[in-house]
Parts: sequence; C-alpha cells; structure tokens
Amino acid sequence: MTGSRPLHGIGTAIAVEARKAVASRALQGITAFLVVGIVVLAVGAAAGAASGDERLAAKLGPLAGAGGWNGLVGVVAQVESAAALLGFGVALSWLVGREFADGTVAGLFALPIRRSTIAVAKLVVYFAWAATVAVLLTGAVAVAGLALGHGVTDAAASLLRIPPLAVLTALIATPAAWAATAGRGLLPGIAATVALIAVAQVLAVVGVGGAIPFVAPALWAIEPDAATGWGLALVPVTALAFAGLCARAWSRLQLDR
Amino acid sequence: MTEATTAARLEARGLVRRFRGDAGIRGIDLDVAAGEIHALVGLNGAGKTTLLRSVLGMLRLDAGRVRLLGHDMELAPPEAWSAVGHLVEQPFAYRELDVATSLAAVARLRGVPRGDVREVVERGIAALGLQGLERRRVGELSLGNRQRLGLAAALQHRPRLVVLDEPSNALDPAGVLLLRAELLALAADGAGVLVSSHHLDEVARVADRITVVNAGRVVGALDPAGADLERAFFARVHADDLERSGT
Repeated sequence: MTGSRPLHGIGTAIAVEARKAVASRALQGITAFLVVGIVVLAVGAAAGAASGDERLAAKLGPLAGAGGWNGLVGVVAQVESAAALLGFGVALSWLVGREFADGTVAGLFALPIRRSTIAVAKLVVYFAWAATVAVLLTGAVAVAGLALGHGVTDAAASLLRIPPLAVLTALIATPAAWAATAGRGLLPGIAATVALIAVAQVLAVVGVGGAIPFVAPALWAIEPDAATGWGLALVPVTALAFAGLCARAWSRLQLDR
Repeated sequence: MTEATTAARLEARGLVRRFRGDAGIRGIDLDVAAGEIHALVGLNGAGKTTLLRSVLGMLRLDAGRVRLLGHDMELAPPEAWSAVGHLVEQPFAYRELDVATSLAAVARLRGVPRGDVREVVERGIAALGLQGLERRRVGELSLGNRQRLGLAAALQHRPRLVVLDEPSNALDPAGVLLLRAELLALAADGAGVLVSSHHLDEVARVADRITVVNAGRVVGALDPAGADLERAFFARVHADDLERSGT
C-alpha cells in the first residue's frame, strides 16, 4: 500500500500486537520456561559441578568452577545462551507465523496500516517482551543465589551479565521472524531457530567464531574474554538487517499459496 | 471525472492473474456502484476468491487495474482503506482475545479513533447477534459464531466498500438473516457491496446484480428478479464449458 506513509499507525499496531501478546498463552508458557526453566537447570547443574562431577564441570566451562555468584551466573549464562535462543526463536516464530497458521493474515491486508509497519510492530513487541524476560530472569537468579546462601555484597557484578546476554540472544533470534514470513508459518521459524542454536553452540564449544554474530553471545556466555568486540557489535547490525528483510517480506507478501 | 466514476465504489479493468495448472482469472472487468450489492456466483475453482483477493491487493496482478473508492489501489490513502471492510476466507479474529477485545483490535487497525471504538464494537456485536458473547474467548466460539464475529469485524465500522467471500458459510439461518439485513442497510446508506457465493444463497438473492464467473472469466449475468435462478446459472456455466471445449 504505497498510498500510506511508512510507519503510519505504528503506535496503533504496537498497541494491538502488545494486547495480543499479553493475552497469549504461548508467550506466557515460553516466559515461564525461560525464567523458571533456566534457573532450575542452572541451579541443578551448578550443584552437580560443586559436588565434584568433573565431566559436568568440564562441560560447563571455566566459570562453573568459580563457585559463588560467579559460578552460578556462569552456568546460567551457558544454559541461557542455548535455552533462551530456543525460547526467543519459538516466541518470535509464533508472533509472526501464527498469522499464517490461524489464517488471520488475510485480515492484515487492505488496512490503512501497511503490512511492513505491522511487522515492525511485532518486532518491537518481541524486543520489549525479551527485555522483560531478561529482567525477570535476572530477578529469579538473584532469588536462587540468595536462597543458596551466596552473599549480597558481590551479587550485582555477576548478575549484571544476565540481561545483556538475554538481549543479545533475543537479537540473534531475529532471523526466525523472516523465516516464518518466507515460509508462511511457525515451523520454518522454529527450524531457523534450531539451525541458529546448532551453529552457535557447536562453534562456541569448539571456541571459534567469536567474530560471527550468531556465535558471539554463546561464546561470551562460556568465556567472556573469547568473544570479540566485532562479533558482539555485529549482533544488533545483524538483527536490524533481518528485521529489514522481514518488513520487506511482509510488504511484498501475496496470498498466493 | 464522470458521475459514474465518482459514484463507483470499485472499478476493476482487465484483471489477469494466472496460477500454475491453468487456474486464476483472465481478463475480468467488474464494477460495484454506490448503494449496490453485486454478487459473484460460480462453481468452486471458478476464480471468485482470486478475483476478490486481487481487488483487495492480496495478489499482484499480471495485468489490469483496480480503483477503489475513487483511488488507484496502489495509491489509495489510509482514509480510503479505513472505509473498506472485508472477509476473505478466515475470520479476522484472534483466538487468545475475547470477542469484544478482538473486535476492538480490528477497529483500531481499521483506523477507528480510540474514542469511537467502544461504540463501533457494540454496533458490530448487535448487528451480528453476538450479544452475551462479548467476554467469551474467540478460540471457544463455535464455527458459526466465529463467522458472525468475522462479519462483525468486517462491517462494524460501516465501510463504504464491502468485500465478502462466501459470507454465509457456517452461518445458521438466523445469522444469514442478520447478515442480509446488515448488507441491505449498508447499501441503503451508499456502500458498495461485493459478495461471492458458490451457490445462489440467501445473500446472493438480495443482490442488485448477479455476475456469473466460470474458468476465470465473466460469462454472463443473471436477473436477480428472474424465475428459477439456479437453472439459469447452471445453463450459463454449462454453455460456457461447452464453448470452451469446442463442442
């Protein structure tokens, strides 16, 4: 619809997308998985490493053995880099792909708001939700650490690693939105997410790819010094590029399948 | 601009959109005037849905031109799209929301000012007989009520151009009567209504004009006041099939 200005009605589109997101049981479930699931997994793994399980400690990387807040957050970060990418990617696939799966995409045509604007609104709501998850996860880890008897004094320095990692992970899940659009459904988005996890985790575990944006957050999670500034700086650039591709795909969309 | 042009709610000229397997539309002209209910009838696969998708910008055309509410479709301003209401295939309703909230979301996307949304939604609920279901989740509605909701979403803002694909699908007789009354009221108020049907249902029968579509082309018209419309329809389609097969 070239007769309407770009981003005309973006506020309305964001409000509508936010209302849908708040009511969504899918997003509620993923939020619980990301916050509670990651903390439970991390606490369990940290306890295992602390009890002297060398194989587990080796898998959890150098931070796991540090003990205290550093050890707990190190394990959280490692679990988060994979689990959060899965959760964020599935959530984004749902936000975008559900319009195709539910057939509501036809209603998004012939509106005064451009479809590309609606796609941008979806991404804005997604990032706002991801930021909320980052805050909730940090709070949950803080509560878990205090419950485990870690001291209050050195908590902040360690805990502050969690939100940026969550945000970086949310950013590198952006290709899921484009894949869900190109493939017209949830599954292509989820498939793209799984592919991203495989690439990020395999390369991070072998310690290469610090300059690749999809790998840098996972590498930063395992060993902060191993990730290059370039790799991390390219994360938002990559997210922006895929957000642009996604908006363009929505703009050019046809109901021809 | 001629008076006919200004009064037209929809003008389509030479619309062509081909799909693999010989499907699609091949050179269709179509008009919907202000105050007119124009029904498209044709068998399954005749090209009705492709035609409706084409006039709403859901498909890129291989050839042809669409003007709606006095604007070329590609250049239509937001105000023009705000005055369009459509239901093509699935109802535009979100299953995680309740009925009233889903209608409000659609109204906002249609450009209804925030202060008017409540009144518009109440109107849509009353028009399609959804009273009592306002707080019911869309996902819990029956197929028939979901169709009513989709129609309410398409009509609640009193559009000037209405495009509905097989709107009586899944509706009970009471729903069909409500829809028919609403379309007649909108048309009486100056809206143009384009509605498709694969059979000559109660909605097609209130049309001012009935156009027969077959194999992607307009193959004739039926007189809405004529006797035995069904026989006339099948005769037209059969004659076209014979003509195309060269027998």
